[in-house]
Amino acid sequence: MKVAFVGKGGAGKSAIAGTFARILARRGTPVLAVDSDPMPGLAFSLGLDSDEAPMPDDTVVERKEGESGPRFRLRPGLDATEAVERFAVTGPDGVRFLQFGKVRGSDTNLFRSSLAFLQIVRELPDDRWNVVGDLPGGTKQAFTGWGNFAQTVLIVVEPTAHSLLSGRRLARMAQMDDGPQRVVAVVSKARVPGDAELVARRTGLEVVVSVPWDEALAEAERRRQAPIDAAPDCPAVKAVESLADLLSEEMVR
Amino acid sequence: MARTLARSGKSVVALDCDSNPNLGISLGIGDDETERLVSMRQALDEGEEEHAGDWSTVLDRYGSDGPDGVRLAVVSRIDNPEPG
Repeated sequence: MKVAFVGKGGAGKSAIAGTFARILARRGTPVLAVDSDPMPGLAFSLGLDSDEAPMPDDTVVERKEGESGPRFRLRPGLDATEAVERFAVTGPDGVRFLQFGKVRGSDTNLFRSSLAFLQIVRELPDDRWNVVGDLPGGTKQAFTGWGNFAQTVLIVVEPTAHSLLSGRRLARMAQMDDGPQRVVAVVSKARVPGDAELVARRTGLEVVVSVPWDEALAEAERRRQAPIDAAPDCPAVKAVESLADLLSEEMVR
Repeated sequence: MARTLARSGKSVVALDCDSNPNLGISLGIGDDETERLVSMRQALDEGEEEHAGDWSTVLDRYGSDGPDGVRLAVVSRIDNPEPG
């Protein structure tokens, strides 16, 4: 499966995406976790020590004159699967990790690597790989070409006015986008029984899971630990497990 | 901070420069009004304005009054899933 987590900054995307990727990996299918945020946070939620996982510059070449397609692409002979196998960092449970948005060096290098990123997440065959994307907070990247590799876009929404408004904007943008994607909501930091209903009503989206507010998960984040390592049995991790169950079942059907 | 300054007697303009603008909620104008605010850049893009007027004209036309007299304006909002 290929999924992308989007939502307002601070809503809990990285913690949920990192835990989700680890759970899928434990079930045996290879997982590529990708972070396209200039301020990356997914690595720590996966249980990696460093968020440095860039692709070497020479893996990307400029389009030759007369050819069509994006200006930069993976060099000839290097396909998405090989790029991941060679360059993605390996994390706990065998999750592979690539990071694309972190600002380093020149804008041109960032632009080059971003096009390689898009090529990899789109072309990696989904009958062999799971792709879990953690997109930057806000409304900028989600539906501007960055999220459309995913079959399912999960809008992470906290039951706060700011997050609900961002969720509604993202839902509206998703409707305008003509991709075949399924767009659903994940409630994050739910505190009272009515929170899931509130998110469904205010965003107009189907809520697929409600991840409760969980002090153990917050403590894991404070310590820069992966929630699934620091608190494997906490309610929030259990909720993400049920999300993995649900999406896996849907893929089989 | 904007509300506190306004209460001390200053005239305050609050500019929301986030492409996902939520400042209106924290100022207390509510989420419907926050969504209703036309961003200054969109108004220019859509030709409602020939060119940017002086700052006070722009604030008069596209701003919204919040509690304690804080004037809120939104600089730019992303509404369309356009590539780029």
